[in-house]
Amino acid sequence: MKSVNGNDVVVIGGGPAGIAAAATAASFGLRVALIDERVTLGGQIFKRVGPGFDLKERKSLGKDYSRGSDLIDEIQRPNVTLLTSTTVLTIEDGKVITSNPEEGIRSLDFQFLVIAPGAYDRPVAFPGWTLPGVMTAGAVQTMVKTQRISPGKRIFFAGSGPLALAFSAQLIGLGAPVVKVIESAPFPSPINALRLLSRIGGNLDLIRDAAKYRSVLLKARVPFRYGRIIVRAEGRGRLESITHAKADKEWNPIAGTEVTEECDALCVGYGFFPSHELFRLVDCSFEYDENRGGFSVIKDEWGATSVEGVYAVGDGTGVTGSYSAVAQGRLAGLQVASRAQRISDEKRDSLAQRYRRELRARNRFQAALNKMFDVGAGIYRLADSETVICRCESVKRGAIDPIIDSTDDVSAVKGISRAGMGLCQGRNCQRHIAAMIADRHKKPISAISFQTPRFPVKPVEIGAIADDSIREEKYFIT
Amino acid sequence: MSDFLVGYLSNQSNHQDPPRECDVLIIGGGLLGTSLAYYLSKEGTEVTLIEREEINREASGTNAGSFHFQIALHQLTPNMTESEKERLASEVRLQVDAAKLWDHLEEELDADLGVHFDGGIMVAETEEEMRVLRDKDEIEKSAGLESHILTGDEMRTFAPYLAPDLAGISFCPREGHANPLLVGPTYAYRATERGVNIRTDCGATSVEVLSGEKYRFKVTTNKGVIRANRIVNAAGAWTAELAAQVGLKLPMSLSGLHVNVTEPREYFLKSMVQHIGRRLTLKQTHNNTFIIGGGWPSRPEPYPKRYSNIWNSAAGNLAVALRVLPMLKDVKLIRTWTGVWAYTLDFKPILGESERIPGYHVAMVPTGFTLGPMVAQMLAQYMTAPKGSVRLPEEFRVDREIA
Repeated sequence: MKSVNGNDVVVIGGGPAGIAAAATAASFGLRVALIDERVTLGGQIFKRVGPGFDLKERKSLGKDYSRGSDLIDEIQRPNVTLLTSTTVLTIEDGKVITSNPEEGIRSLDFQFLVIAPGAYDRPVAFPGWTLPGVMTAGAVQTMVKTQRISPGKRIFFAGSGPLALAFSAQLIGLGAPVVKVIESAPFPSPINALRLLSRIGGNLDLIRDAAKYRSVLLKARVPFRYGRIIVRAEGRGRLESITHAKADKEWNPIAGTEVTEECDALCVGYGFFPSHELFRLVDCSFEYDENRGGFSVIKDEWGATSVEGVYAVGDGTGVTGSYSAVAQGRLAGLQVASRAQRISDEKRDSLAQRYRRELRARNRFQAALNKMFDVGAGIYRLADSETVICRCESVKRGAIDPIIDSTDDVSAVKGISRAGMGLCQGRNCQRHIAAMIADRHKKPISAISFQTPRFPVKPVEIGAIADDSIREEKYFIT
Repeated sequence: MSDFLVGYLSNQSNHQDPPRECDVLIIGGGLLGTSLAYYLSKEGTEVTLIEREEINREASGTNAGSFHFQIALHQLTPNMTESEKERLASEVRLQVDAAKLWDHLEEELDADLGVHFDGGIMVAETEEEMRVLRDKDEIEKSAGLESHILTGDEMRTFAPYLAPDLAGISFCPREGHANPLLVGPTYAYRATERGVNIRTDCGATSVEVLSGEKYRFKVTTNKGVIRANRIVNAAGAWTAELAAQVGLKLPMSLSGLHVNVTEPREYFLKSMVQHIGRRLTLKQTHNNTFIIGGGWPSRPEPYPKRYSNIWNSAAGNLAVALRVLPMLKDVKLIRTWTGVWAYTLDFKPILGESERIPGYHVAMVPTGFTLGPMVAQMLAQYMTAPKGSVRLPEEFRVDREIA
């Protein structure tokens, strides 16, 4: 195994939080290695246009694109080593073990480890969700941003939260034919709207963005429907129509209110889940906060977790958006620099002030937003017995239900049904199954335990891992 | 195939409080405990089984489900004496008996347990290993286990997927596997049908030996006190820990194991593959994934945390796998896990009733999946026959001391 040693700080994840942490730590002379599994930095929100694509209408990608460019420029320094196309497989004995198609397996040592793994789309299984033409918001975003491909000719957006608005507007801006936006949350109540307004300080830009997005939709005459939920997608071999219905308070569809409409692309965006596999591998402590995406790693105001030297920043620690992520990254970078005795505590505190202030304002606002778009338990009840829940192993709801009737144990459900045992190792279905167990056994979802964390965090070829120089303790043959 | 598990799991009485009194109390709901409960109940014995977590959760459900009828590798040396060979032959005879039990187990339990006898291949890389392989083959044949040695073109034709430059292989047609997720729970299900009380989430916190009372044992659990005439300690990796409560010192040790599982590929590998000189077991499951293990270590963690994986175990284990099956090079590893292997210092089972504490039984066997049901059956025969009429092998004695 090759090694990349002598790192003061290893940062995992090249999105807003990770880049900000790396840039800040590096600005005080620390040797930083920044790892990301994609070809280019930027993560999801600052995602770069793919290689070979000319960027002519930079504006259409929004100001996030330029914010991302500025941040990426900040880490172009000799004391920052960039490891792109590099996947983290495990963290063990103070080393991060990674895989790269050209370099093979490499280990990186560190004094401080900043984990910024980001979040992934909340998967929602409803009848027809596996049809070609039905995509998650993240997938469509990647398609449009890096490949400049429109997913269809009549696009519906179904989901919830600020993203439903922002993202639809972005698609329209890029010329993608969005026909209708279906938001499951009810039209904002006066209480929720007031709460949001009271926390507007430091978030005017977000409000301005929202207003701009809304006007894009209005101008394009794209209807935005509150309080409706997608119940079904249908088509022969690919998506041809969707059915949506009025949603009650818990987001259960109300019978008799179904409307079926033709479309060839459905973009599904019900918010995000923090990606916490790495935190669990290093044994960080967790708490439960539904509004931040469920299980979230416990950390202090600097991002320090319960494990010495390990920091957690960005949406992987609870979904709060890219502005908050950058501020979190800055704070972790400052704390690492202070712990490494590159800056005094006083200097750290004075530099931290503006980020702390920003973080507080962003988080207060985000909490109000989350309240407004509080996810209803109904989204986990849309699947019927023929709906596939675990895509990797093709396990349908009908095969899982009888097992859940008799046990509330995640491992038993997994072992018997094979749901969660495939390539994605439960990333997509684990949460859904946990919700099904919680629903059936009348338990809070926070009481449903995780799978035991195991490497590799992402699948990797045997040939890449195999190392003939490692010899076992001999059996008795001498 | 999962109907039995669902049936077993839906048995809500498992979560009720245990009975206050019983004849036989089995502590431990692994393969040994559940199969013993089944065989005892067949003889009409009144049995309660308690398990602190869920049935089949530890080694019984986390092992790879292989039958090891060939001589265990750690017992082989290059220049074995005749008495060593005879000792190994006696073990092989036990394994041949176990094979017969597995032959009929699906019929006995009236269930699909995923039992297959697809044969086992043992490869030798060097000429020295080849000599050991030939010795092993000879002992096995003498003990009644069918085995064939193949080298050169014969080997390459028989197993074209193996690295062509291996020194040779032995092939044991009797070897095979069963689904470890099904066997224990099916025994448990059939035992409950015969009136055994199984109580999960019920752990023994203390075991006391009583004197001059109606019952000989008092077991305190998180769900109340149980009094029993006889106790069977079938606590798997925790057998020695539990036995220490009544002052018994068992010659046992624990070892954490590492296992790898890959993505599925087109099915081609019928037989399990092992290496006579290195740590490797490799097989393709009926889900078409490959399970690769063979005794590489995992890192101990305090209970109830599972042992953790060690990167070098994956890297070393997979290198041995590729040396033997180079064509697996681009197959992706998707997950690893760990299990705890409990073994005795002389590699013999601990089976029977303690002479020092009459009524206290122990059931522990190092190759637990292969031999578990058979030794459980032996112990059930001993426990249900009139005193002194059935004898268990002397070398399995509970009170033996190992230097």
